[in-house]
Amino acid sequence: MKDFRFWGLLPAHLLMMCTLIVPILIIIAVSVSTRGAYGGFEFEFSTDAYRQILFNEGWSGEMEFNPQYLFIIARTAVLAGLATLICMVLAFPVAYWITLQSAQMRTLLLFMVTLPFWVSMIVRVYAWLIILGNDGVIESALRATGLVEDMDTLLFNNGAMLVGMVYSYIPLMILPVYASIEKLDRALIEASHDLYGSRMTTLRRVILPLCWPGLGAGAILVFVPCLGTVLEPILLGGGKIMMMGNLIQMQFGGARNWPFGAAIAITLMCLVMGVLIVNGLRAMRQAQLKAESI
Amino acid sequence: MKTMFKTTVAAGALLASAAHAEGDLNIYAWSDSIAPELITAFADEYDVNVSVDGFNSNEDLLTKLQAGTSGYDLVTPSQHFLKIMADQGLLEDISASEMPAFAQVADQWRGQWWDPDSAYSIPLAYGTAGFSVNRDQYDGAVDSWSAFFEPDDKLAGKIASLNYPDEVIGAAQLYLGVEFCSEDATEMKKVYDLLAAQKPDVAVYASDNIENRLGSGEVAAHFWWDGNSMRTRMDGAPVEFAMPKEGLVGWIDSMVVPAGAANVDNAKAFMNFISEPENATIQYNYYAHSSPVQLVMEDAKYTPENAPELFPDVPVEFSRTCSPAAQDLVTKVWTQLLQ
Repeated sequence: MKDFRFWGLLPAHLLMMCTLIVPILIIIAVSVSTRGAYGGFEFEFSTDAYRQILFNEGWSGEMEFNPQYLFIIARTAVLAGLATLICMVLAFPVAYWITLQSAQMRTLLLFMVTLPFWVSMIVRVYAWLIILGNDGVIESALRATGLVEDMDTLLFNNGAMLVGMVYSYIPLMILPVYASIEKLDRALIEASHDLYGSRMTTLRRVILPLCWPGLGAGAILVFVPCLGTVLEPILLGGGKIMMMGNLIQMQFGGARNWPFGAAIAITLMCLVMGVLIVNGLRAMRQAQLKAESI
Repeated sequence: MKTMFKTTVAAGALLASAAHAEGDLNIYAWSDSIAPELITAFADEYDVNVSVDGFNSNEDLLTKLQAGTSGYDLVTPSQHFLKIMADQGLLEDISASEMPAFAQVADQWRGQWWDPDSAYSIPLAYGTAGFSVNRDQYDGAVDSWSAFFEPDDKLAGKIASLNYPDEVIGAAQLYLGVEFCSEDATEMKKVYDLLAAQKPDVAVYASDNIENRLGSGEVAAHFWWDGNSMRTRMDGAPVEFAMPKEGLVGWIDSMVVPAGAANVDNAKAFMNFISEPENATIQYNYYAHSSPVQLVMEDAKYTPENAPELFPDVPVEFSRTCSPAAQDLVTKVWTQLLQ
């Protein structure tokens, strides 16, 4: 029986091996290789790429500690975190409201939430250029109400980038949160009210704790792709600052430094794995607590 | 039922004719750079299935070729990338100098440093990179790069540059009198200082949708290419391509065959085809960049009178292939600028 469990899953194992593990191993191999003079790489062990994340030749030609890449990594993490937080705050009421609708309506609404995924990402991000741009939807609307006469563009700053990231990934937050709210036992809410719990207390002490798994899953689904975002900084951020995705892209392109690009990609992956591990440990601890309390 | 039968037969016939074609030709060229009517004409005349994909930067093309079999038979890098590809053995030696197309190439473009033995390439188009201004927005002088890099109050905040360093840094070097591909860090620090001082006045670094951004007046000045600026002007937008006295950054795109391509003969046939004077003229009229091969002059749409953009009266300095040390300095300038 156990044999079958292994052999029966072999196709899945092979697929994972060939499409996930092997490419990651290749990236790791590239990151510890020597860069080719004009791009590409040579199989010669070197840790230069990792050292370069922290130490660089300054303008005077001396090696010095240079936090420029750390800035980019930190900025990426902060913006991705912010986007995740905003997604959480926005998605929760939406998901909650959907669960209160009739069964038919719920199906329709959930379908509408996933609808944007049928459209290319580039087109969706471009749409925000039209909404936020000069003479765009927002500016025209504000002008029509007479609130403003002339305004600076809303585009090409961190805010515009954040809007794009939240918009792109919020469905990934709504769906798991919806799933966890749907499973919520309404009797517990009534019980809370019966025990004189106010609305706020009920939300804080009953609903939210029970929905954490959904919010946590959503947070990972949003945070991880946000870390690797490339389009939003270029199109909505106006290309004025780099995120990790752009930094990696540049190393494989114009900078002709593949090992360094691979090293940053590995760093990004470690960051993601760190988040996943912390999350996994917390889930395990919670499961343990739950088991103990029973 | 009958119509359905007919359609099926027609579709079958179409499939059959496609299957009978002499072979394939997969082209990877700058987006919208090859006249579609020439593609169709070539496919008909030579009975070849032609597919065209577009790229938007030399870096993309080089990375694709370096990554291994690209599946393309004909690609069109600029001179400084062609040199890297040739040196790295990424190109097929097609004995270009013996091809009929080579006879059409103007003397000045033969045996140049990027292909000294004329073994790999047939040039397709050349031009310059500079900047354009929207004359409804800005009426100042544009005879120097200072207007772009050290903008006055009228241009501040209304400038757009490209989102990759290649030509922008070249232009900054022309303005400062720094050699292209300089390996001198103190010289390149000057380039960085210039771009960093300009950054607060830059609205956006973007290489797409330039016609719209400048033509609509969203920005008043934009880093741009000669032919694109000219086409937009001829479409009625009030744009002017600047002729800075310090010079323009030159480029020339050539047709080459990636090493190991499956359809080398078709690629060479296409090079000969597009270099015939009548076809080269169609291509010139479509792409609106200067042609390095012989044209049918009376059919050429752009002349020094109606298209001054294509006939610059200022020095033109062609981008070079930088050494790794020089390229690292370019990357350093750009990374620090956007960090």
